[in-house]
Amino acid sequence: MKQDLVGRPFRALIHYNLPYKWRYLGGAALALAFTSVELGVPLVIRRVVGLFETDRMTPLLLWLLVGGLLLIAVAAGVSRYCQRMLMIGASRRFEYDLRNALFAHVLTLAQDYFHRTKTGDIMARATNDLNYVRSFIGPGVMGSVDLVRVPFTLAVMLYLGSTLTLYGLAPLPVLSLVVYAFVMYMHRQSKRVQDQFSVVSSRAQENLAGARVVKAYGVSDREYRDFEKESRNYMRESLKLAYAQALVWPLIELMLSLVILTVTWKGGSMVIRGAMVTRPVWTEAGVTFAQTPFSLADFSGFLICLVMLAFPLTQFGWVLTLYQRGAVGMTRILEVLGESPSIADGPETRHDITTVRGAVRFDRVSFRYGDADILRDVSFDIAAGETVALVGPTGSGKSSVVSLLTREYDPTAGAVLIDGVDARRIPLRVLRGAIGYVPQDTFLFSDTIRENVAFGVPDADEARILQACEIAQLTDTIAELPDGLDTLLGERGVNLSGGQKQRLAIARALVRDPAILILDDALSSVDTRTEERILERLRAFMAERTSILISHRVSTVRHADQILVVDEGRVVEHGRHDELIARGGLYEAMHRRQLLEDRLEEE
Amino acid sequence: MSAGYHMEDEVQQQRYDATLMSRLLRYVRPYRYGLAAAIILLFVVSVVSNTIPLLNMRAVDGYINNPERVAVEAELETSGEAAPALVEQIDRLREGDLTGLHRLIFMLGALMATQAVIRYLQTIIVSYIGERTMLVMRMEIFAHLQRMSLRFLDKNPIGRMMTRVTTDVERIQQTIVSGMVQVANDLFSIVVIVTIMLSVNWALALITLSTVPFVFVTSYIFRLYARRAYLEIRKLIASVNAYMQECVSGIRIVQIFGQEQRAFREFDRRNAAHRDEWLRQVRNYAIYFPTVDFLGTFTMALTVLYIGYQLLGAQMWAQTGATVGGLFAYLQWGERLFQPIRALADRYNMLLEAMASSERIFSLLDTPPEIESPPEAVPCTSLRGEIEFRNVWFAYEGEQWVLKDVSFTIAPGERIAVVGHTGAGKSTLINLLSRFYDAQRGEILVDGVNVRDYDLESLRRQIGIVLQDVFLFSGSIERNIRLGNEALSDEHVRACASYVNAARFIERLPGGYAYDVGERGCNLSTGQRQLLAFARVLAHEPSILVLDEATSNVDTETEALIQDAIAKLMRDRTSIVIAHRLSTVQHADRIMVMHHGEIRESGTHQELLRKGGLYYTLYQLQYKDQDVSESNESDAAGFEVSGDVLP
Repeated sequence: MKQDLVGRPFRALIHYNLPYKWRYLGGAALALAFTSVELGVPLVIRRVVGLFETDRMTPLLLWLLVGGLLLIAVAAGVSRYCQRMLMIGASRRFEYDLRNALFAHVLTLAQDYFHRTKTGDIMARATNDLNYVRSFIGPGVMGSVDLVRVPFTLAVMLYLGSTLTLYGLAPLPVLSLVVYAFVMYMHRQSKRVQDQFSVVSSRAQENLAGARVVKAYGVSDREYRDFEKESRNYMRESLKLAYAQALVWPLIELMLSLVILTVTWKGGSMVIRGAMVTRPVWTEAGVTFAQTPFSLADFSGFLICLVMLAFPLTQFGWVLTLYQRGAVGMTRILEVLGESPSIADGPETRHDITTVRGAVRFDRVSFRYGDADILRDVSFDIAAGETVALVGPTGSGKSSVVSLLTREYDPTAGAVLIDGVDARRIPLRVLRGAIGYVPQDTFLFSDTIRENVAFGVPDADEARILQACEIAQLTDTIAELPDGLDTLLGERGVNLSGGQKQRLAIARALVRDPAILILDDALSSVDTRTEERILERLRAFMAERTSILISHRVSTVRHADQILVVDEGRVVEHGRHDELIARGGLYEAMHRRQLLEDRLEEE
Repeated sequence: MSAGYHMEDEVQQQRYDATLMSRLLRYVRPYRYGLAAAIILLFVVSVVSNTIPLLNMRAVDGYINNPERVAVEAELETSGEAAPALVEQIDRLREGDLTGLHRLIFMLGALMATQAVIRYLQTIIVSYIGERTMLVMRMEIFAHLQRMSLRFLDKNPIGRMMTRVTTDVERIQQTIVSGMVQVANDLFSIVVIVTIMLSVNWALALITLSTVPFVFVTSYIFRLYARRAYLEIRKLIASVNAYMQECVSGIRIVQIFGQEQRAFREFDRRNAAHRDEWLRQVRNYAIYFPTVDFLGTFTMALTVLYIGYQLLGAQMWAQTGATVGGLFAYLQWGERLFQPIRALADRYNMLLEAMASSERIFSLLDTPPEIESPPEAVPCTSLRGEIEFRNVWFAYEGEQWVLKDVSFTIAPGERIAVVGHTGAGKSTLINLLSRFYDAQRGEILVDGVNVRDYDLESLRRQIGIVLQDVFLFSGSIERNIRLGNEALSDEHVRACASYVNAARFIERLPGGYAYDVGERGCNLSTGQRQLLAFARVLAHEPSILVLDEATSNVDTETEALIQDAIAKLMRDRTSIVIAHRLSTVQHADRIMVMHHGEIRESGTHQELLRKGGLYYTLYQLQYKDQDVSESNESDAAGFEVSGDVLP
């Protein structure tokens, strides 16, 4: 469904607005009603003037006509109100739907998408582009619907004076074109202004990010000059746009005045000369065409019609640009919606699997990302309940092992088997539901500590949360905070230290009571003593479940049931701590360093 | 611009502040004559545009509906037959009316053209002044940021400072300059229209004005509601976007923890709240616009009624001051009167927004730079390169001393390697020497002069720094070597690149020195970026070289090039290198071992090894394997000996 909308913004707009079709149709019907009612105004005025002209006016008639005028105003007001509520309301509902659809879709996309797409880019689509689309659907559609008044008003004008109509209308298409041309120019120029604005912003951004270099080289003068140059360019481009904008309104006003002037001139002359016009006349015999004089009353009615007509026509150019931008915005949003998740349940998925025990097997797994071989022919076996440690240099592929296990990526060759089943066939929810993961870079939400700990188990009770915090050695930290578990984190709350954040992330994983616990270098910011204590408590927890530890510290991994040493995407050593020490390879070297390191610490 | 999801920036200043305003007006002061001209033009245009309905009225009442002609026409009609005298009279009258109408039409055309021209001129002047003011303000903020210390810059998120330079300035420009002029315009229009209306027909004027209070009250009430809803909407959309941004940033966690549905529910809740608030706002508008339209028609009805009664009372179309032309003119004036009244309510809100922005800008401008050149600064043209640290104590934060009573002297031309564990205080030495920070106690002397007495920029220019994480600016390779110094010749740039072994890879790039390195130099490898940084520092010929060696792995070939380049850079120059490579340590004249903020050992490689102390342990830990081979093994244990510049 979504796929065939990609690159077809118009169809997509219709698709997403279909649920509100009755609102739009209702709005359009009201616009029609509004117009026909409003057309009463010039006719009433004409009547008033006509009655006076021929001395047939009486106070009663006058009151009746004025009353009619007010009735028309009330009716028009009510229909205008309903029209707005229906159409603009629908556009806000549509905006809500589309934003939800976008977010829901983004949630399904796999890591490879986020790897190549910046957060800012996704956000730009969800904010600016969405806004453009909404502006077209709301005001744009309302503006176009207003065009229905054109033929009606035109009919009345033709009735009042057909030649005069031609005179009066001649400039209007030109006006619409001029507006359109200008708006297109401004659109292009706005783009230039926007582009230059990004240049200015990125210059400032770069200057601030590179402040150290700027200061070190004492080049802030040059930076200033550079920035000034770009700022001046920005000013110039902005001014060009401003000058064009400055021209638009006077020009539109001038052209509208021209129209009115022409009509006053031509129409006025007709009245003065007592010119005759041919128009339908309603008699008892039916409608016949007759020559009647072009009266002052006709002239008055005509002028009012003209004013009513000019507005939607000038607005039309504006609506066109709204459509332009809306279509571009929609196209950009569709690019995201059209992205299909590279990892999702498929026809192969075995929905009968509902739990995971935790036996993990890598069977000749290779993984390429881009041009790089991340993992090459990796095989190992972890029995359910075992604790396994992965060690190795930075960039050796340890974290990738985890990413394949959590199915953030799928292997290029070979298979990851969980409980003997290919991970690709286990329902994603089941697989991930069985995993408690503590990432290398702690990511916490700007929410309360409670919400963060209970992130993976929304209905976790207090006892469970506290227990997890206890194991993660977080109890004391929480006790010191003003609101305890309900303390807000992030910009609007407290900022935890790196170690505290890591411990919170550990608690978050423990609360899930997972079959497989993964700690990806999760204690790096915690001091050795705290680490010791955490590990102590964790050991009891890990005893009953499969645990995978990634660490740089020997102290963290030495008690593991098996240790895998990864280097350049391969498992190069494999065994228990004592075996690996005895072997005198990479692991032994690492251990030796660790001892030296400790000695250095003690100095 | 789109990054403004921070709640902090959404806080609204809710009151008008006279001191802020007068400070803002100071920026407009240089353009006061231009501004005065714009306001005079506005006044003229206001008079001209409101005279137009007057002429229209003349056209209708004087010519199109010339009472004299109408009377004769009526006479002719009642007489029933063609009286030649009357026909002739009518012909003459018609001739006169046509000529008069044409004349008026030309006058009207001229007035309209004048109006358009003046309005154009006026807008141009205002835009120009606005843009100029904005430029001045933006440059002032930028210049101020240049003077702020690293301590300040590290503490304040870049995004926040960016908002000051971009969005906040923009918002002020929109409101202060154009806002002021628009308010003047609105007031003029009201005054001019009311004056004209009263002078033409005071009774009609009063009728039209009678609805004005209603329009004003309606607008006021509407603004009250609309503003409340608007603020709420801003808060809600910020919360929607912030949540989305957070979920996208933390998408791994959301997905691995399988909390997509929960995240969606939360998002939906926020999104729905935003939608509902908008629907309330839509209702506000849906009520307001038709109400004002109705008031307009109501005024029209009153005018028609009044003129009608005048006409009825006179019983003669021709004998009354109330005319059809008058009706049109008053309808137009009524319309023109409503517009500025509606707008005025809007301007106040914009003003408040600008207040919030200006307050943020001024609070930034009022933050004094912590580190500056002294008033009588010693200019620093070239240095011998003698460095002395005398009992230096330093802490980034409170009493957490990073350097504790550090003293040492470096002779001109001496090559020093600083070694030590992460957090030992090595990078802090660099920060203090270049005066990125000032020491709390003790002094630092360069060529016998306290660093605080030097002209800051000239001192820093003499100290060439290469940091681990090489920061590249967007733009060409050449721009990154020159760093804007156009005085460097092309040959010099190329010679420097070639001396530090960077020329080879540069020349292989498409476009060579013109190659665009892209944002943060993403498309160069770590090794290449290192070499480029070497070329950069060499091109600026510093008297003192400070180098924080990178620890990251590079291929063997590049590693050899880097080592060779470092040796060349250190030659004949006072050099301080935070060393991670054995070769660098070996090339040094002296090694200083830092530990826990103190200098524990000092001497040559051999001396220190023999001593068997701290250096010996460090050597075994960090450099020993490099003896055997330059394999990746040194990092095998994953010791990130990263020289975090900040704790």
